[in-house]
Amino acid sequence: MRIDRTAAASRPVRTAAAGIALASASALALTACSGGSSAGAGFSDELDPDEEISLSLAWWGDDDRANKYEEAVAGFEKQHPNISVDTSWIAYPDYWPARNTEAASGSLPDVMQMDLSYLRQYGGTGQLADLSAAFDTTLDVSGLDEQLLTAGAIDGAQYGIPTSTNTLALFYNADVLDEIGVEPPAEGYTWDDYAAFVDEVEKAGAGQDPAIYGTADYTGTFWFFCQWLIQQGVEPFTDDGGLGFTQDQMAEFLELGSDARDSGVFYPIEKTKQIEPLGGFTVSEAASEMSWDNFLAGYVAETGQDIRMLPMPAGDNGPQMFWKPSMLLSASAGTEHPAAAAALIDYLINDPEVGTIFGTSKGNPAVAAQRDAMDVEPGSVDEKVVTFEEDVAGLVTEPAPIPVEGFGAIEAEYKRLGEELAYGNIGVDEFVTQWFAFAESNVGQS
Amino acid sequence: MSAATAAAPARAAARPEPRRSGARRRADVAAGYTFLSPWLLGFVLLTAGPMLASLYLAFTDYDLFRPPTWIGLDNFTAMFSDARYLKSAQVTSLYVFIGTPVKLASALAVAMLLNMKFSGQGGYRSAFYVPSLVGASVSVAIVWKAMFIDDGVVDRIQQTVGAPAGGWVGNPDMTIPMMILLAVWQFGAPMVIFLAGLKQIPAELYEAASMDGAGPLRKFWNITLPMLSPVLFFNLLLETIHSFQVFASAFIISGGTGGPADSTNFYTLYLYTKGFVQFDMGYASAMAWVLVLVVGVITALMFRTSRAWVHYSGEEN
Repeated sequence: MRIDRTAAASRPVRTAAAGIALASASALALTACSGGSSAGAGFSDELDPDEEISLSLAWWGDDDRANKYEEAVAGFEKQHPNISVDTSWIAYPDYWPARNTEAASGSLPDVMQMDLSYLRQYGGTGQLADLSAAFDTTLDVSGLDEQLLTAGAIDGAQYGIPTSTNTLALFYNADVLDEIGVEPPAEGYTWDDYAAFVDEVEKAGAGQDPAIYGTADYTGTFWFFCQWLIQQGVEPFTDDGGLGFTQDQMAEFLELGSDARDSGVFYPIEKTKQIEPLGGFTVSEAASEMSWDNFLAGYVAETGQDIRMLPMPAGDNGPQMFWKPSMLLSASAGTEHPAAAAALIDYLINDPEVGTIFGTSKGNPAVAAQRDAMDVEPGSVDEKVVTFEEDVAGLVTEPAPIPVEGFGAIEAEYKRLGEELAYGNIGVDEFVTQWFAFAESNVGQS
Repeated sequence: MSAATAAAPARAAARPEPRRSGARRRADVAAGYTFLSPWLLGFVLLTAGPMLASLYLAFTDYDLFRPPTWIGLDNFTAMFSDARYLKSAQVTSLYVFIGTPVKLASALAVAMLLNMKFSGQGGYRSAFYVPSLVGASVSVAIVWKAMFIDDGVVDRIQQTVGAPAGGWVGNPDMTIPMMILLAVWQFGAPMVIFLAGLKQIPAELYEAASMDGAGPLRKFWNITLPMLSPVLFFNLLLETIHSFQVFASAFIISGGTGGPADSTNFYTLYLYTKGFVQFDMGYASAMAWVLVLVVGVITALMFRTSRAWVHYSGEEN
């Protein structure tokens, strides 16, 4: 390319330029190809121990998770010398474009980690195998709670097996709060109490260098909105895959943060954008943050400080939390080795060794045998998560909302508009109008 | 660029050689096409085929998972009421129409400096080209981001001159200047071409002008620029098209979101989001074709106006 450019610098410029212009213009056109895959048969077959099989396995996560998966896979390969597993992994946001492209060309990995947000997208469009066919042969799901297992099914077809559960929590940095002399929210605190806490931290922490904030704008996260809706007695999604809430309800939730937004009490969005993928909480400049409880290990590792957990803020009937089935495992409908794929899933959800390897890094293991196999050392991160989940078990009163098709897109749009809101480019009303307009064309089968 | 290089052997192979027999000529043609085949196959399978497919998809509703359904021009009309689309077009235009001239001006200025005669010039030439060698890489975008955050290098320089602005990365008003600076910094390729062009301007012209009492500015306007105009045209064309394609740097600096607040949501980035994240490949294909058309029209306009300001030496009279 550079040689071309230099060589073409004199008379033949015109033709060369035209050629390059044409080539560049045509290279711009995006490519896409289509393809489908037939529904996976053979999941009820027994595994043939002599057949040489190569399986592909994909997950999202960081390198810590990658090491754990590699260790688990090595155990599986040892148990099944005839099967070799090719692994691939990538961060969550990049995981989906990659899978989406593979789905379009019918080349999904044999086994892949699946999120509830995308289960309908993939399961509902015939990309994933119904694993229930393997329940009597290679895949043992007897260790899973019935309700949890059902969360991985759509219309009776088992498209994913949850490997763990998560619930939402409020994390706070006890060291930082000590330093500025603010008490954490008390048990049974409400959304209003939390807003007051955030206010108090901002006032107390303003003199610090760098300034300490209470939290970043929490109204810009879709899952927190879902949690709040449940507390209002609203099912976020209807049984037929539509939205169960109104524009007014969304506006009401966003208004929870309006005062703090207007007076600059939240951790500034300008700062958040600069340190992404970290956040104010991970750099110890915000004293609290809501998130999934399996984030504890990451927070402790990043901050090196005393991070503790509380249940979510309460509504009129308490926090009304839910277990979100997470890190599902699915098999591609087009896999050539259904029995082996099912066996790999079986190993990953049931084997006690795998439970020891992952601990609570993916959430609390779904199967008791794996929970019991964890090395829960007193004072360890695993212990904190397990204790938290035991403590809040009584507060977890609701079933997890089953995300609609297109959930991933509407969740991302909610986050994007939350950013615009935080920058003050739009108001709550515009947020709601724009989000609903987007949801209308992205939810369910278009 | 592959088009230009690969076409050359084809022309050579097909050149008629009258004294040879017909069979021999056919063998030559066959050999020519054989040598051409790797490129030809690549072009048909990897470029032309997918392009045709995307042309079809542009008129469909296609979510990657279900077969596409024909919806006529709906994708194209939807663009006019898509606020994010319009914003991305606006952001891209700013980047192209401000960034490209600034980049070319810097490239020309540096090329003229490097065209002077003093010792160690070769070292300087290499040094100025280095950013362009590493410029397209992921790591540079990451370093760039680090330079422009709170308390980064740029912020500190601003503090010492008494104009603290905080980090540019988190400020939607400052991200486009930041992106343009990143592009300008990678001026090496047009600079080398300018330098080659400058070296071809006959020294007699400047000598004659000096005799007539022309100053440096006068020489620049009346000799350098006209003599350099073919090279300038070439660079302008290339860099404009190149700017429209900006993707990687924005993707990395914004973490793939085009943020903050869509301020770096360039056309190609939004296209990617539409197609691969929001499952709207039909719309994304339509966007791609609109971009091809726009770039095509702008290129045609440049060729049109070039007759007025580009002088090919020897073509006059």
